[in-house]
Amino acid sequence: MPAMTVLDRRRHWTGGGFVLPTILLIALVLIYPVLVSVVQSFGQSDLGGTAPYRFVGLQHYIEIAGSAHFWNALGVTLIFAAGSVPFELVIGIGLALLMNESFRGKSIARLAVLFPWALPTALNALMWRWMFNSDYGVFNAVVLQTHLASRPIDWLGEPTLAMTSMIVVAVWKTSSFMALIILAGLQAIPGELYEAGRMDGMTRWTEFREITLPLLRAPILVALILRSMDALRTFELPFNLTGGGPIDTTESLSLYAYKEIFAYLKFNSGSALVVVQFLVVFAMSVIYIIALRRRD
Amino acid sequence: MLKRRPRPILYVLVALSALISFFPIIWLILTSVKTQAGVYAWPPQYWPDPFTAKNYVAIFTKSPELLRSILNSFIVGTGVTVVVLVLGGMAGYALSRLRLRFAGPTMILILAVSMFPPVSLLPAIFQNFLQLGLLNTYAGLIIAHSGLFLPIAVWMLSSYFGTLPIELEEAARMDGMGYLRIFLTVILPLSWPGFVATGLIVFIFSWNEFPLSLVLMTQSAMRTAPVAISLYPGEYSFPWETISTATVLAIIPILAVTAIFQKQIVGGLTAGIGK
Amino acid sequence: MAQVRLQNLGKTYGALSVVRGVDLSIDDGEFVVLLGPSGCGKSTTLRMIAGLETINEGELTINGTRMNDVDPKDRGVAMVFQNYALYPHKTVFDNMAMALKLSHVARPEIQRRVAEVAEMLGLTPYLERKPAALSGGQRQRVAIGRAIVRTPEVFLFDEPLSNLDAKLRVKMRMELQQLHRRLGVTSIYVTHDQVEAMTMADRIVIMDAGEVAQVGTPRDVYDRPANFFVAGFIGSPAMNFLTLRRAGEGWQAEGAALCLPALPFDTGKLDRLTLGIRPEHIEVGDQTTGPWCFDAKVELAELLGADALLNLGVDGVEMLARVNGTAHPERGDSLRVKLPPDLLHAFDPATGGALPRKA
Repeated sequence: MPAMTVLDRRRHWTGGGFVLPTILLIALVLIYPVLVSVVQSFGQSDLGGTAPYRFVGLQHYIEIAGSAHFWNALGVTLIFAAGSVPFELVIGIGLALLMNESFRGKSIARLAVLFPWALPTALNALMWRWMFNSDYGVFNAVVLQTHLASRPIDWLGEPTLAMTSMIVVAVWKTSSFMALIILAGLQAIPGELYEAGRMDGMTRWTEFREITLPLLRAPILVALILRSMDALRTFELPFNLTGGGPIDTTESLSLYAYKEIFAYLKFNSGSALVVVQFLVVFAMSVIYIIALRRRD
Repeated sequence: MLKRRPRPILYVLVALSALISFFPIIWLILTSVKTQAGVYAWPPQYWPDPFTAKNYVAIFTKSPELLRSILNSFIVGTGVTVVVLVLGGMAGYALSRLRLRFAGPTMILILAVSMFPPVSLLPAIFQNFLQLGLLNTYAGLIIAHSGLFLPIAVWMLSSYFGTLPIELEEAARMDGMGYLRIFLTVILPLSWPGFVATGLIVFIFSWNEFPLSLVLMTQSAMRTAPVAISLYPGEYSFPWETISTATVLAIIPILAVTAIFQKQIVGGLTAGIGK
Repeated sequence: MAQVRLQNLGKTYGALSVVRGVDLSIDDGEFVVLLGPSGCGKSTTLRMIAGLETINEGELTINGTRMNDVDPKDRGVAMVFQNYALYPHKTVFDNMAMALKLSHVARPEIQRRVAEVAEMLGLTPYLERKPAALSGGQRQRVAIGRAIVRTPEVFLFDEPLSNLDAKLRVKMRMELQQLHRRLGVTSIYVTHDQVEAMTMADRIVIMDAGEVAQVGTPRDVYDRPANFFVAGFIGSPAMNFLTLRRAGEGWQAEGAALCLPALPFDTGKLDRLTLGIRPEHIEVGDQTTGPWCFDAKVELAELLGADALLNLGVDGVEMLARVNGTAHPERGDSLRVKLPPDLLHAFDPATGGALPRKA
């Protein structure tokens, strides 16, 4: 690096001043709390901050490792991510291919893609909870009236079914986000490539396999990363759809940690939980980044 | 280009996707205009019979806290949007255009912190804001949301600034402008589409944010709309007609904004994907 | 008006050095063109003078004052950008007035100066328009006007004509020359177009790979290129080069039969050299015989209009000749060519430097 001249230094001071407020706010809201959680996870105190802090080492982490409740929440989170993200990807690609065609009423179709994205997840969960209602919900009305089932189905009350329902809600809401990102990638592919492909005798399918899919690799990976992060952090969906039930089979790590901290006031072991969750999300992002690097 | 696909199939697929997308929202709206008897009728009412506006009237007369929560969401969302656009705009400008040596690492840091799980922030931020007296204040939630959404705003805005010709800023330097004046008189007027897109997305994110809003606003009068509606049902009774009606009211602003500015929002969300 | 001095000027990005050791002294009122292929460092050098790039090495002085650490606006320089860089949201008047406003010139004075310059450039009818409502040539004029209004000590031009179409470029080139004669302000002009350089410059600075290859008048660089790079860069079509090996008193082309007599250069102990001859200097169809005349065959003939280009085979050596286009030889014709010894150039193949002529 060459030494900075007077003009360089002046520019850096000004630029630093422009960036500083943002960094301070991010430090206050994002960085500092995570550091506090790390410190608290190794100690004992209380949520009000009145009891003095006492260092207890790995005690909370050892408790977590031996807690069936934690392993259940971790499993729920991973199953939810693994169950929802692939469907979102496939449906997202399908929607993006549709949106890339030209047809009349395109802006209505674009709204159909945008609305689920724009809805608050919490309210979306409530909407679906009503539709899944076993006594008055529209789904049971349809399956009973068409005699697909003889008795009402307890969509949110039976373990496997509840997880499936939760995945359906997530896929409904977030496939559209996948579609938007992939559509942007699609539109960046030069049209001449397809014309060249046609000259080479490509069919619709070979065109998709040989041109579209390889060139969509980057946007697909970006969408996968963002969505997986979100799925691993999922909180308000189980909070509002199932409350984590039945018998904790939809209780995600976030929801479990929240309950530990705010319902049972276990501030320190809750902090250890969020640190563990942080590490899970972090590990996932590292895996993705390595995958991105290696395939480049 | 010649089209190979037979068109009817395309329209069927589009119609099917649109139906699946819109159905839950349509069902929500239909529920909100049914009478209580209609909501819990068997055989179920697919079409409200009769239509009623009673649920909406009831919200205004019996559940003012739900209306208040929508107002709260407006105040917080507006505040967050202003703070994020001002601070994020300046930071994004400096990081993308001033050739700062620390720009690269700073952008990576900002990207990295945006991946933090919100729940991992809760215990410390709750304690912190409790001590600072920021619980149950607009300022508190505005600060929290601003910190949460600044990273995405900085990324979106700096990628937008990257599309402006750098020569314009150099000409401004030659004309004798300092960096703040360049930002205010050259960058701002030219990048308002980027600010509009970013502002809309940040507003929607703030409106929809749940965990921090849940924890930092503990008094029912200060809750934002999603939290207020989510906590409205009692332990055993779910007044679905009221919940549906409140949900309609709480999502109308968001859906209206999305419908009006769909192009800007799509542009903002997907900026930088094609590259 | 001002003297500009660059002393050992250099620019590095990390380990990458893009400009090295540029020494140049520009006189008051002089029009100097920085010429070179893309990536040669000419734009970076100009931007260092402007203050848009910081100077890592060496010193820049204007009228004897060190400018390295002076803000661009305080250097007394004005710049015309390649893409005009007009503020799209401001009118022509505001674009031209901006620098004056920022230096707190009184409003009536601004009005007067902008009006005067607009008149000079024929922009008076457009003062209230926005740049988007102007043609490319008009925008270019506004960009120039914005620089003139400031009455700078030095004008800097960064490829100002490269975005115009060919016809307009010629017209604007002439206007710029007239303007320079009229205002007499020291000007530094960057271009990759040698026609612009040859026609406008008092002196041309040819740059190659971050260093100055030659400084001289247009005549100098055409007639007496200082090295192999300048010889090949100046002139279109480019100079013919052939590698010669010493053969007794004379020289023989490498890998071909062509033999030349003793050359009028100080060849010292070299046993190989690069000989250059411009296509327009090869005399074709001359029936006289002599040591510098050779048999040639036309392998390809291209009519350009006024001129024609001939690809010649001269005893196994390929050469391009430029001849009058009215009655040029055709493909397959045999003819005689003369390589006039006075118009030959010779270079040391190791250093690239031109060999001096024998006195």
